[in-house]
Amino acid sequence: MAFISSGYDPNNPMENRITDIGPRNYEDFYPPVIAKNKGKWSHHEILEPGVLVHVADSGDEVYTVRVGGARLMSTSLVNEICDIADKHCDGYVRFTTRNNVEFMVDSKDKLEPLKNELSSRKFDGGSYKFPIGGTGAGVTNIVHTQGWIHCHTPATDASGTVKATMDELFDDFQDMKLPAQLRVSMACCLNMCGAVHCSDIAILGYHRKPPMLDHEYLDKVCEIPLAIASCPTAAVKPAKVKLEDGTEVKSVEVKNERCMYCGNCYTMCPSMPLADTEGDGIVLMAGGKVSNRISHPKFSKVVVAFLPNEMPRWPQMTKAIRQMVDAYSKGANKYERLGEWAERIGWEKFFEVCELDFTHHLIDDFRQQAYNTWRQSSQFKF
Amino acid sequence: MAKHDTPLLDQLESGPWPSFVSDLKRQAEIRAKNEEGVEFQIPADSCDDLLGILELSFKHGRTHWKHGGIVGVFGYGGGVIGRYSDQPEMFPGVEAFHTMRVNQPAGKYYNTEYLRSIMKLWDFRGSGVTNMHGSTGDIILLGTTTPQLEEIFYELTHNLNQDLGGSGSNLRTPSDCLGSSRCEYSCYDTQALCHFLTNEYQDELHRPAFPYKFKFKFDGCPNCCVASIARADMSFIGTWKDQIRIDQDAVNKYVEKDPAYPANAGAHKGRDWGPFDIEKEVTDLCPTQCMKWDGKKLHIDDSNCTRCMHCINVMPRALKIGKETGCSILVGAKAPILDGAQMGSLLAPFVPVNPDNDYEEVTEIIESIWDWWMEEGKNRERLGELIMRQGFQKLLEVTGIDPMPQQVEHPRTNPYIFWKEEEVPGGFERDIKEYRKYHQR
Amino acid sequence: MSVLDNREEATKMVTDYLQKKLKNKTKFYLNDFYKVFPDDKPRQVKKFVNSLVTDGVLEYWSSGSTTMYGLKGAGKQHASEGEE
Repeated sequence: MAFISSGYDPNNPMENRITDIGPRNYEDFYPPVIAKNKGKWSHHEILEPGVLVHVADSGDEVYTVRVGGARLMSTSLVNEICDIADKHCDGYVRFTTRNNVEFMVDSKDKLEPLKNELSSRKFDGGSYKFPIGGTGAGVTNIVHTQGWIHCHTPATDASGTVKATMDELFDDFQDMKLPAQLRVSMACCLNMCGAVHCSDIAILGYHRKPPMLDHEYLDKVCEIPLAIASCPTAAVKPAKVKLEDGTEVKSVEVKNERCMYCGNCYTMCPSMPLADTEGDGIVLMAGGKVSNRISHPKFSKVVVAFLPNEMPRWPQMTKAIRQMVDAYSKGANKYERLGEWAERIGWEKFFEVCELDFTHHLIDDFRQQAYNTWRQSSQFKF
Repeated sequence: MAKHDTPLLDQLESGPWPSFVSDLKRQAEIRAKNEEGVEFQIPADSCDDLLGILELSFKHGRTHWKHGGIVGVFGYGGGVIGRYSDQPEMFPGVEAFHTMRVNQPAGKYYNTEYLRSIMKLWDFRGSGVTNMHGSTGDIILLGTTTPQLEEIFYELTHNLNQDLGGSGSNLRTPSDCLGSSRCEYSCYDTQALCHFLTNEYQDELHRPAFPYKFKFKFDGCPNCCVASIARADMSFIGTWKDQIRIDQDAVNKYVEKDPAYPANAGAHKGRDWGPFDIEKEVTDLCPTQCMKWDGKKLHIDDSNCTRCMHCINVMPRALKIGKETGCSILVGAKAPILDGAQMGSLLAPFVPVNPDNDYEEVTEIIESIWDWWMEEGKNRERLGELIMRQGFQKLLEVTGIDPMPQQVEHPRTNPYIFWKEEEVPGGFERDIKEYRKYHQR
Repeated sequence: MSVLDNREEATKMVTDYLQKKLKNKTKFYLNDFYKVFPDDKPRQVKKFVNSLVTDGVLEYWSSGSTTMYGLKGAGKQHASEGEE
C-alpha cells in the first residue's frame, strides 16, 4: 500500500489550492429530454407502481422507473447503477430525496427491457438490488441516519431497522393500495440529523440512561469547561472526585434528572459514553406529514414510548408498525394521510384500532407546550 | 472467505428489500480480490472490518464509534466528520474512518461518467462505501483516513471540478426537489435558485459563520417533497398569486372516467375505490370549500383558495398552477433539541424568484436574517429558537417585512402587549407633580 | 478605522485573548471573538477569524453540528484522537 500523492503538497497546502467552487452545475447532468422540456411539462401519470410518465407540452414523454435502494451503497453497486443507466438511459440517472434511484427513458418501448433488467438483478443473499416501486398511495423508501455503521451517539442501528421495516412493508412499496402515501422515517437518536418529526411513521432511537463517567481519564482527555458547556440542559457540573486509590481528580457530575440523553457531552468528551444495551431502544411516532395538501403539515406524535433493541430484526418494532399500517389501511378514507385519519377518529380510537397500549409516558410533560396536548374539552370517545 | 463471522448481520440478507449486508459483503470480496489492481490508499479490508464492527454492535446493542473533531481539510470548517473506532486492534481497517460530504448537484441528476469518477476515487482513497445520499443531500463518502482527506479534496477540486458540502456552524449544503425539470407543479426553478445560492454563499458554506447550523431547502410547490417546512431554517416553497388554470374539457374527462385521465395521476390504482366522484374526492375535500361542480363545469373561487394542491394533485391534466408564480418564505424549522421541534413559520407570503436580478428579493431577506442572527444568536441557538426568544415582531423589524394576517393562524389570545415607548403618545416619562395637581396622595 | 485593518495588531489581540484563557479551555465559539472586537460587525469579525485559520494561527474543531476555534495544536483532543 504505497502512498500515492494526488499532487497535494502537505508542506505547502495553499499552493495551487482550489476552494469555493461549489457543486457541479446541474445542467451538465440533465438527460436530453429533460433539458429540452424543462419548465414545459404538461402532466404526469403513474402507469403502475414505480413507473411514471411525464408528458411535455411538446408531446415529448419521459418514462421514469423508480427503484428503492439502501442509502448505504457500495461503489460497486453505484457502478452497477451506472452500467444500467449506460445500457438503457443514455448514461443518465437521478436519485430522489428519499434514497430512491430513478432511471429515465424517452420512449415507451425502452421501458420493458429496463424494468426487466432492474427486477432481475439480485444480491447473492436473495434480496432485490433494484426493487421497482415507491410511488403513489403506498410506502416509499425510508429516509434515515447512520446508526451503528458510523455514528458515535446512536441508540439503535439505522440500516438494520430500515431493512427489517422495509421487508415487512415490501408489498406496500410495490403496490398502491393504501389510502394515501405513507412516509416512514428513521433517526437513530433524538438529535435527529435526519428529521423524522413530521413523518406518517417515525422510528427513533432513544437512550434512557445518562452518560457514564470515566473519572480517571476525564480530565486527561477532555476539557471540562467544554463538556459542561456542551449540555443543552445544564445537567453537567464540575466536580472533584476521589478515585478508588484515594487520589483526587478533577471531573464532572451529571444531574441525572435533567439529562435528555442527547449525547452532546460524549461528542465533546469521550470519557462520557452513554450507549447501553438495556437502556437504548426504539420510540415509535406517528401521524406527521410535511405536505400542505388538504390539512396543514403536522408533527408526529409518540405512540410507543419504548421498545427494546432486538437485533437483528426488531420484531416488536415491525409488529407495531404493521398494526398501524393495517389499521390505517382499513380505516382511512381515500386521500386521508395517517395523521388526518387519526385525528378524524380521535387518538383514543387510534390506540384501540392499532392495538397499542396507552401508557403514562405518552402524556406530554416537556415544558409549556405539554398543556396544548391535554384535552380541554368534555368531548371524547369511550 | 469473509474475515469476520457475522451471524446476526447474515440474517439481514434474506427478505426482498435490498440488503446492505449483501452489498457490503460483496464489496469486501471485491476489495480482497482486487482484480482491477487498485493501489488502495486505506486498508483493503476496510469493508470486512466495517462488517465486523457492525456485527459487534449488533451483539452488544451499542455503538463502537467515537467522534473526532480536529480532522478536516485545510481552511474549511466543515465537510468532514471525524470518526474513530473504539476497537482499533480488533478492526484495524476502520481505526480512522472519517466521512466526507460532497456537495451534490441540484436535483440529484447525474451522468454516469461523473458518478463513476467519484466511485473510482473512493475505491482508490476510501472504503468504497457511500451514502446516496446523506440527510442534508450530500453524496456521503463513508470512511477514510486522515492523510487521505487532503488528497481526496485535491482530486475533487482539481480533477472533478467538485467541492465539499457543509457541516458544523456553517450554511449546510442546500437541497431541492427536482422542480420544473420534470414536474408540472413547480412554481419556480428550484435547481437554479438552489445552485445560485449555494455558489453565492460558498464562504458561509465552508467556514463557520453562525451560532449554529443553518439550512436552506427548496420545494417547488406546497406538496413539499423535500420537507423544507420541517427541516430548513429557511424554506422556499413555490406558490402562485393568480388563478388555477382550468381545462373544463379535461375536468369532464375525469368525471367521465376516461382511462387516460386517472384520478390522482394513477396513484391509487392498487385498490378499487369505486368510480371517481368529483364532489366526494375533490370539491368536498377542498379545505376552504372554494370550489363547486355544477355537473358540467368546475368553478373555483381563487380569492379563497389556499393553494393546498389537492385538486391539482387529483386532476393534474385538468388543473394547472397559476401563471404569476414565486415562492413563500418560511423560517425557523428545526428538529427537536432543545425546545422541541419547530415547523417553519410564514414570513414572506410571496417573493418573486427572479434570476435576472440575481434573486435580489430573496438574498435581501436572507442577509438581513443572518445579520440579526449573527449579532443576537446565542451559541448553538437555531434561528427558530432566536425567533421564539426575541419574538416574531423582531423578525419583521430586522427584515423590514410588514406584519400581515397571513403570518398568523390567529391573532394573539392574550392582551399582554409590550408597547414600545415611541409607540405611545408622550412617551413613558411623565410629570408626577402635574399628576398630583388633580389626584391626592 | 477598525482595528481589524491592522492585521498584526488584531492577530495579537486574538492570540492574547486565547492565551489568557488557555488554562481553562482551548476551544471557542465565533461569538467569543465578538468580545475581542466589540466595535466591529460580526460579519467582519468572522471573516478575520477565518482568515487566521488560513494563516495557520488558529484551527477548527468540529462536533459535526457546531464548529469551534482554537490556537493551532492546543488542547487535549489532539492527544486523545491519537493522530498528528
